[in-house]
Amino acid sequence: MSLENVHDLVVRGKAKLVPAAVQETLDEGVEASKILDTMISAMDVVGENFKNGTIFVPEMLIAAKAMKKGVEVLKPHLASGAAGALGKVIIGTVAGDLHDIGKNLVAMMIESAGFEVIDLGVDVPVEKFLAAYEENPGVKIVACSALLTTTMPALQETVTALNAAPWRKDVKVMVGGAPITQEFADKIGADAYTPDAASAAKKAKELVAA
Amino acid sequence: MLTAKENMRETVRGGNPDRFVNQYEAVSILMHPYMMTQPLLKRGMENVVNGWGVTNSFPENVPGAFPVHTPDKIVVKDFENWRDYVHAPSLKFSDELWNICKDMYAAVDGTKAYKAAFVAPGIFEQVHHLCSMQEALMDYMEYPDEMHDLIKYLTDWELELAEGICSNLHPDAILHHDDWGSELNSFLRPSIFEDFFLEAYQKIYGYYHSHGVELIIHHSDSYCANLLPTMIDMGIDVWQGCMHSNNVPECLAKYGDKISFMGEIDNKQVDFEGWTYADCEKAAVHAMETCGMKHFIPCITQGGPGSLYKGTYQGLWDAIDDYNCKHFGFTKEQLEAQRLPISIMF
Repeated sequence: MSLENVHDLVVRGKAKLVPAAVQETLDEGVEASKILDTMISAMDVVGENFKNGTIFVPEMLIAAKAMKKGVEVLKPHLASGAAGALGKVIIGTVAGDLHDIGKNLVAMMIESAGFEVIDLGVDVPVEKFLAAYEENPGVKIVACSALLTTTMPALQETVTALNAAPWRKDVKVMVGGAPITQEFADKIGADAYTPDAASAAKKAKELVAA
Repeated sequence: MLTAKENMRETVRGGNPDRFVNQYEAVSILMHPYMMTQPLLKRGMENVVNGWGVTNSFPENVPGAFPVHTPDKIVVKDFENWRDYVHAPSLKFSDELWNICKDMYAAVDGTKAYKAAFVAPGIFEQVHHLCSMQEALMDYMEYPDEMHDLIKYLTDWELELAEGICSNLHPDAILHHDDWGSELNSFLRPSIFEDFFLEAYQKIYGYYHSHGVELIIHHSDSYCANLLPTMIDMGIDVWQGCMHSNNVPECLAKYGDKISFMGEIDNKQVDFEGWTYADCEKAAVHAMETCGMKHFIPCITQGGPGSLYKGTYQGLWDAIDDYNCKHFGFTKEQLEAQRLPISIMF
């Protein structure tokens, strides 16, 4: 019952209620990892609902916020690194582009899927993406977005630089953003393109499982 | 042969246009003192603070200035107490400034083009400029009462702006920006959008309509098909920026007798490095032939005459002219005689 409650509260984005529900479930003796899995599965539902248009950006944001609040309660009870067990993802909007909401949604959904996210923010130069990889051993995915036709060349430059890095074979490169297409992603040599945040989280899981 | 303005009026009213309206040809976009007293960012300028305290930057390769929302630059630090942070700029301007604007309005041939006051940002945009997009979107859900109060405050300010514009400048159109969605969906659920914004815009657009403004042209280059009933109730006459993703022909069939559509040609279709006239022609002809002439104006979805890459807007302009000449028997000279010279804002 408590796990169902946690699941329901995350789906409904009840950030103020989730911490108490998680604590209650822990007090009942349910394993922390099981509660985490429940919240991850709740975010899968949120992602699907967003993808099929039954919920909108605010609902998705508050669901991710609710999950984050729940994870804060869980963290002391989880094995070290369990909350980001799927690996590290570097994410950023490319140089010259200040759009953040799409990138933030992808970051939240990827984090909610069980990754540790290193968010470089917006207007991120190529060098910063490369340095972030060097500074964070074990990164599994680098995700870059561009929201304008005029910043697509910057996305291309970023992916080209990543492709030239000696560690390229150890990392997957994902791209997205309004003007980006699968064709463009293929052309610039990215490993994956997804059209929305829910698909990005799903694809990230597939990429690390492959 | 109709003037460009008459032709746009016929198009919007579902009357008898004699050719396709060519993008913004019948809309002369004009300033007012508030716009003139705000910092005008040029490409490359960074961290310029406007009258609301919002910091903006204009990177080299983007279409316009953009609010900066690093934590230190977000205006509203605590949404429950937004009144402590939001202080509207004064709308008291000197006669000298009003007179400069009056001269600009007087210089436009009002038989060929609407004299359209330019208003931006709108209420939704102002909220997220002040709060950051992410926080603002959550605030609609988590602090609805405070959000209603903030929107009322912004609406009252816009009404004061409208009063100044109408009483001094007497525009017959308004080009009002407020982006309400991404390419794929509206940001807010339609019921929530209606709850927060219908009354605000009914007041603002109602004021303009009752003070001599014939056309409310609202810009949102996004998906908004799900918001159309509310947009109609707001009093919008022309939705500029309707992207291809809205299925404009379907929107026209459902709502064309209540609102007109200006767009369908997404920037990404034509406005990219290496664009050609053939790209413009293909997009323009497709838009015209799938949407028809009544209640539809083929136009780049960008919120003003111009494009990101040099020449694209002109390329579309030429393509629409060529189509009008070929299908309606006009010459280029005749088209030019009935409109103002092409004006490219950016």
